[in-house]
Amino acid sequence: MRNAQAIVDLRLEKPSFRVVEVVRDGEVRYEVRGKLDAPVPPIRESKYLSKQQCVEIYRWMLLNRRMEQALENLYKQGQVVGGVYFGLGQEACSCASAYALRKEDWLAPMIRNQGSLLVKGFPARDIMMQYMARAGSPTKGRDASSHFGDIKERNVCAPISMLGDLIPVLAGVALGARMQGRNIAVMTYIGDGGQSTGVFHEGLNFAAVQKLGLVLIVENNLWAYSTPTEMQFAVEDLATRAPGYGVPGVIVDGTDACQVYDAAHEACERARRGEGPTLIEAKMMRMKGHAIHDAAGYVPRELFEFWRKRDPIARFEKYLLEKKWLTPAENKKLIDDVEKELEADREAAVASPMPKPETAATGVYCEEGCHEIKLKYGPVKVAQRKDEGKPKESEAAVHLR
Amino acid sequence: MPTVTYLEAIRQGLWEEMERDPAVFCIGEDIGIYGGAFKVTDGFIHHFGAERVIDTPIAESAIVGAAFGAALTGMRPVVEFQFIDFIVCAFNQITNMLAKSHYRWGAPAPVVLRGPCGGNVHGGPFHSQNPEMYFVHTPGLKVVAPGTAYDAKGLIKSAVRDNNPVIFLEHKYLYRRIKEELPEEEYTVPLGKARVARGGGDLSIITYAAMLHVALEAAEILAKEGIDVEVLDLRTLAPLDREAIAATVRKTSRAIILHEDTKTGGIAGEVTAVIHEECFDDLDGPVVRIAALDTPVPFSPPLEEVFLPKVADVVREARRLKTY
Repeated sequence: MRNAQAIVDLRLEKPSFRVVEVVRDGEVRYEVRGKLDAPVPPIRESKYLSKQQCVEIYRWMLLNRRMEQALENLYKQGQVVGGVYFGLGQEACSCASAYALRKEDWLAPMIRNQGSLLVKGFPARDIMMQYMARAGSPTKGRDASSHFGDIKERNVCAPISMLGDLIPVLAGVALGARMQGRNIAVMTYIGDGGQSTGVFHEGLNFAAVQKLGLVLIVENNLWAYSTPTEMQFAVEDLATRAPGYGVPGVIVDGTDACQVYDAAHEACERARRGEGPTLIEAKMMRMKGHAIHDAAGYVPRELFEFWRKRDPIARFEKYLLEKKWLTPAENKKLIDDVEKELEADREAAVASPMPKPETAATGVYCEEGCHEIKLKYGPVKVAQRKDEGKPKESEAAVHLR
Repeated sequence: MPTVTYLEAIRQGLWEEMERDPAVFCIGEDIGIYGGAFKVTDGFIHHFGAERVIDTPIAESAIVGAAFGAALTGMRPVVEFQFIDFIVCAFNQITNMLAKSHYRWGAPAPVVLRGPCGGNVHGGPFHSQNPEMYFVHTPGLKVVAPGTAYDAKGLIKSAVRDNNPVIFLEHKYLYRRIKEELPEEEYTVPLGKARVARGGGDLSIITYAAMLHVALEAAEILAKEGIDVEVLDLRTLAPLDREAIAATVRKTSRAIILHEDTKTGGIAGEVTAVIHEECFDDLDGPVVRIAALDTPVPFSPPLEEVFLPKVADVVREARRLKTY
């Protein structure tokens, strides 16, 4: 039975504009065409989140943003090795999606999903130490930014810089768990740029064919480094990719934590029922350049203004205050606590030494005694034998002799 | 002791490992009911079930990526490439995802990537390649290339048990051409260890895979002329057995490196450098490289004949080297 799937759209606002490349006064630049004066939509009521859960997500988003501000300061102080990557404007997408995962579920972040890593249990100091290339960082100074993971406790797969490769990897995590008798949810992200890669297709198709519990969040943040979506793909919504794979597609406002959570939660539940992958397109905008060096001068200013009014944290804060799920006093305490936590983490991170040079040559191979490889979810189902239990020498015709 | 082919030895090795450890599973194209293009996994799906013998879409990056993902949960995947030529379609997953994972973030990648390599079967440019050096150059990978049925079985078992990504190159010319008596009892052959396939005192031929048999044939001819050749079978190309290379060269003072891979950037250059680093003072003559032409593998038999190194090339170069 092949899957026929319709697109579900949870948005309360459907922004309609295009970025076009124009020649004006002898210069080539990007301009916006369309309506940018629409009123800011409300936060959609969640079907699943309790008051306490909403406040927790809000706190993660705040921690995400304030940590990135702390990283920017560390960069300005010369503490950061290399660049800094920001998820400004995307905190709801990172935090509310990862919040839908259980402990046994897996996550693979991309460069801007630092909030997802916080939700999955890494302290902010780990991310700070990654940026500062310190010995105490999860990779012991061997890799930067969000490029780390944890196969023992937190179930996080480290990303690589090449885009799309995590999609089949996470599908494989779900495959491994299923062989051990468990259907789990495995979540990863891809951008409007990364979805152009071949391995995006390979991975999503493989997950669909095998009905693996992949929750693929396509973060449509309008800019692939400096390239607008108009030059990246020719469809209106990336969620329409999903039916082509026999997979449900959902569109959410990526600046609305409740929409992101509801879609992610339903996708995770579907994954746990063994019904296969879901593609969620989260529409939002990257509110900084590609990395700290990039002033994003190519982005038309009015786009920033449009999306600044849709700031995921300011809107969620207002929503919680208006619902009286958070009093101004509680909010102040929450913000102070986040700042205190970050200050303590910043101090711990700065205190970590640089790695010892002689460690550079170690650990290329997993040597004897280095890791014990154990099944994570339980014994593998072993099939009933249908023969005498010996390989038979094959005399069949082969491709080339 | 039963006599089995090189292909059958690999089948037995894989079968035994799947029997021994339920975490081992096979994944690849047409490996299930069809049993694989070369029938290495023929019958596996009936015995081990479709859960552990998985047919996939034609998507090498997805296959390798999924294998790595499954390994993160404690599984030990064995990936089949229908022809090893197609391994480059998964190049990024192998060289960036798998090879670097232990070094970068401490996640072992116990994944075997196996498939038929090599020419002399008129497979043309895309069904005859020897891709070992793409991977030998990448830290974190192991590269294995057995030349005998005994080693093929023992090495595939070690590859499955290894905690690192292992590229396992099965020479398709050898699949059904060589046979050997294998022990009834279980055995493994360690990765990273070369083997002296023939002892001798005058000259060393350092080689592996199908060229092992070319070297041994040349050695027989040379023996009749009074040139006593030692043949070292590298068996594993990464990590390279530097001690074994140095030991044979110290013994004979003359070295020929013979491989079926193309010459420029082939492992002969690396072995030459090892010889210079370890035992330059022992050399009585220049290190000689014999390898395939620096061209794609041509299809037509007379062209492929010229492309591949031959016994006559080895005999000629050995005679020349002996004059030093």
